[in-house]
Amino acid sequence: MQTFLTLLISGLVIGGIYGLIALGYSLIYRASGLMSFAQGDMVTLGAYLGIFYYVWLGLPILVALVLTFITAFLFGMALERGVIRTLLKKNVIPIYIVLATIAVSYIIQNLAQAVFGSTTQWFPQVFPVANLTLFGVTNQTEAYASFVISIILMIALHLFMTKTKFGTAMRGSAMDPLAAESCGINTSLSTGITWGLAASIASLAGMMLGPMYGVFTTLGSTIGRKGFAGAVVGGYGNMYGAMIGGLLLGLAETFVAGYIDGTYKNQIAYIILIVFLFVKPTGIFNEKAIQDV
Amino acid sequence: MNNTLSTKKKLPIGIAVAVVVLALPFILQLIAGNDYSVMICCIILVYVIAVSGLDILFGYSGQISLGHAAFFVIGAYTSGLLNNYFNTPLWLTIPAGALLATGIGALLAWPASKLKFHFLSLATVAFGEIVYYFLYVSPKIGDSSIGFTNDYMGINVINIPFLDNYTKWYFFLLFFVVIFLLAKQSLIHSRTGRAFMAIRENTHAANGMGVNVRKNKIIAFAVSAFYTGFAGAVYVHLIRYIAPATAQQKQSVLFLTMLLFGGTGSLVGPIIGVIFIELLLELIRPLQEYQMLLYGILLLIVIVALPGGLYGGVKDAIVSLKRRKETAKLAKSDQ
Amino acid sequence: MLEAKNITIRFGGLTAVNNVSMQVRPGQITALIGPNGAGKTTLFNCISGVYVPNEGEVILDGEHLEGKMGYKINAAGISRTYQVINLFWNMTVLENVLVGMHSRLTATFWDSLFHTKKKREEEKQIVEKAHEWLKFVGLDEYANDRAGSLSYGKQRLLEIVRGLASEPKVILLDEPAAGMNTTEKAELDVLLQRILKMGYTILVVEHDMKLIMNISDYIYVLCQGSLLAEGTPAEIQNNPDVIAAYLGGDE
Repeated sequence: MQTFLTLLISGLVIGGIYGLIALGYSLIYRASGLMSFAQGDMVTLGAYLGIFYYVWLGLPILVALVLTFITAFLFGMALERGVIRTLLKKNVIPIYIVLATIAVSYIIQNLAQAVFGSTTQWFPQVFPVANLTLFGVTNQTEAYASFVISIILMIALHLFMTKTKFGTAMRGSAMDPLAAESCGINTSLSTGITWGLAASIASLAGMMLGPMYGVFTTLGSTIGRKGFAGAVVGGYGNMYGAMIGGLLLGLAETFVAGYIDGTYKNQIAYIILIVFLFVKPTGIFNEKAIQDV
Repeated sequence: MNNTLSTKKKLPIGIAVAVVVLALPFILQLIAGNDYSVMICCIILVYVIAVSGLDILFGYSGQISLGHAAFFVIGAYTSGLLNNYFNTPLWLTIPAGALLATGIGALLAWPASKLKFHFLSLATVAFGEIVYYFLYVSPKIGDSSIGFTNDYMGINVINIPFLDNYTKWYFFLLFFVVIFLLAKQSLIHSRTGRAFMAIRENTHAANGMGVNVRKNKIIAFAVSAFYTGFAGAVYVHLIRYIAPATAQQKQSVLFLTMLLFGGTGSLVGPIIGVIFIELLLELIRPLQEYQMLLYGILLLIVIVALPGGLYGGVKDAIVSLKRRKETAKLAKSDQ
Repeated sequence: MLEAKNITIRFGGLTAVNNVSMQVRPGQITALIGPNGAGKTTLFNCISGVYVPNEGEVILDGEHLEGKMGYKINAAGISRTYQVINLFWNMTVLENVLVGMHSRLTATFWDSLFHTKKKREEEKQIVEKAHEWLKFVGLDEYANDRAGSLSYGKQRLLEIVRGLASEPKVILLDEPAAGMNTTEKAELDVLLQRILKMGYTILVVEHDMKLIMNISDYIYVLCQGSLLAEGTPAEIQNNPDVIAAYLGGDE
C-alpha cells in the first residue's frame, strides 16, 4: 500500500507536468495545424529563465515565476511571428516547417549550453520545509507544489478558453479562420498568442522540474517528447485529452518502473506513443486528424 | 529529367569526375601523407549510400523519417555481432544487416504509412529511441553499453585481406556506391519511382491514377531502410566501432541535414550534401560543442533561403542564366 | 456499361445523395448537372472510390466496384479528373502522363530496381505512347517542363490526357470547363468529340449549360441529392421541373 501511494503520487506529479506540455502541443495544433519540436525546449528555457530570475537576480519566487511566464510567452510569440509565419508566407511545404522547429530546438539547446554551461545546475530550496509527508508518503515539497500548480494552470486555462471573450476568439479562429476573420477576430494575433501561451505553460513546467531534476540543456527534449506522447494518448488537439493523457502517461510510466522494471522507464512513453499512433491514433478522446490516406 | 546541361557537355564532365574520384585516395596520400583523409573519404562514401536511401524515402516518396539512424545502427550491429561472435564472413553479415533493417523498416512502415507527416516524424523519433534503449539495456554481449568494439584490426584482416588499408576500403566502397546509385536511378525512372513521386505530390490523385499508395509507401520505406542498413553494416567494419546512441535523433537529423543541404529528389544532391557537411564537421572539429548549433543554422538556411538545397540552387541559377542569355540574344536579333 | 444503382451517401445526419440511379452508355457523353450543392461531385467521388456509398451499387461491365479503393477502380477501367486541378505539380508533363498509365504497366518492383530488359522495353514503349497522348492535346512541346509551370487551360488538358493514359472504359470529367474562356471552351468541345471518336466513354459533371446541351447525349439532373430528371438535352431543356429548379437555384 505504501509503495502504491508513493508511486501514485510521483506518477501524478510527473503526469501533471506531461499534461502541461501536452496542452501546449494541442494548443499549437489547434491554432496552426502544426507540430513544434521546439515545444520541449520551452521547458528547458523555462528552467533556465527560472535560474536566471530566481538565482542570478535573486528575485522572489513568485516574481520569478511571473517573469518566466512573460518571457517565455514573448519567446513563443516571436517564434511564431519570426519563423513559422515567415515560412507559411513563403508557401513552404509543411514538413519543412516542422524541420524548422527542429532547427530552432537545436539552436536553443546549444545557446543555453553556451550561456549556462554544460553542467547541471541546481535550484536552491524554494520552500522553508524541504520535505512534506502526506498520507504517509514523504516527498520534496516542490513536487507537491508542482502538482498543485499544474492543476491550477489547467483549470485557469480551461476558464480562459471558455469564459473569456479572448479565449472564445481563439477557439473560433482555430476552428474556422475565415469565419472568425469575418466576425472581426484577428486570427493572426490569436495564433501568435496561442504559441506564446503554449511556450509559457511549458516554461512553468520547466521551472517546476528544475528543483526536482536539476537543470540541463537536454532537460526538455526528452520530456517534450513524453508530453507529445501524452497529447496523442488523450487525442491530439484536444485540450482535456492532453491533460488526461499526460496524467495517464505519468502514472503508467511510474507504475511500470516501480512494479516491473526500472530499466525500461524511459522506453514506456515511446512504446505507448507508437502503440497509440498505430492502433488508436484518435486517442482516448477520439480526435480526428493524424491519419493520411 | 531536367536538362540543364546538354548531353554534349555532360560527357567530358563525367569523365573528369570519374578521373578525380579514381585518383582521389592517391592524391590525398601524396598531399597529406597519411591515411586519415582517405578514411574521411570512406566515411563520405558510406554516408552517400545512407543519405541516398533517405532521399528515396523523403525526397521521392515524401515521407519523413527522423529515425533513419536506427536502420543504420541495426545494420551495423547485425553485421558486427554476427562477424565478431559467430565468425560469419562479411559477404554474409553485411547483406544480413541490410536485410534485417529492410524487414524492420517494412514492419514499421506498415502502420506508419497511415500517419500524417508530423505524426510520422515523431513515430520515427520514438522508433529510434526504442532501438537505442533496446541496445542500451540489452543483455551484454561484450560491453554493449558502449557498443561493441573490436580490440584488434583482426576481423577484416583475417576474412578479407584486401581490406587492410583505407585506400582499398575506398575502392571497395566506391564499387557499392556506384551500384547503389545506379539502382536508385533505375528505380526512380520506373513505374515504382513515378508512383513514389506521385504520392509525394498528391496522395489522392495518385490513388485515383491507379497507384496503390499504402503499398508503395511501404516499399519506399523498405528500400530506404535497405540502403541505410547496408551503409551501417559496412560502416561498422570500416570504423570498427558503433554505439547505441547513434540510433537517436541526432544522427538521423544529421542525415536529413545532409540531404536537405545537398538537395532532395536528385542523384547529385545527397552526394553534394554529404561531402559538404562531412567536410564542414571536420573543419569545426575543435568546436564540437557547437555542432548542434551548426546543424540548426544549416537547416534554417536551407529551409528559409535554399529550399532546393545546394544542387537545386545551382540548377536554378544555371537555368535563369541561360534564360537571361536567350532573352539577350532575342533582344539583339530584334534590333 | 457503367451503372450506379440506388446510391445513397450520408455524412453524419446529412443525406448528400439520396437513392440515385444512373447509367452511362458506351461511346456516349453522359452528363450530370444540377445547382451547387446538388451532390454531383459527391456522386462522382463515390463512383471513383473516394467515398464509399452507404447504400447502392456501382457496376462496371458486371464488376461490382462500390467500396473499392480508388487505385483498384482505376485498374478496373474508370479514370477521372478533378474539379480543383490535382496534377503532380513538381513532376514533368511527360511524367504526369506516365503516372496515368500506372495500372496498365507490367514491370514489377524488381524489374524497376534491376533495370531489366522487360522494364527497358516497356519504358521505351510507354514514353513513345505518352508523347503521342501529349501531341493529341498539343502539349508535346512542354513534355519536359514542370506541370506546375503550365497555364491553367493547359493544366486542364494535361489532366484529361493523364486520365486517358490508363485507357479507361469510362473517363469521369469533373467540371472540365471550369475557369476556361470561350475559346478554350470551344476547343474543349472539339476535344471531347475527338476522345469520343477514339472509342472512349465520357461521364461529365459541368456547370456550363450551353456546353452541356451541345455535347451530351444523355443528361441526368440532380437537385438536393435526388434525381430530378433525366433525358436527352432537348427533353431536359423543356422539362418544367428543371427550369423551376434552375430559376429557384443560384444560377
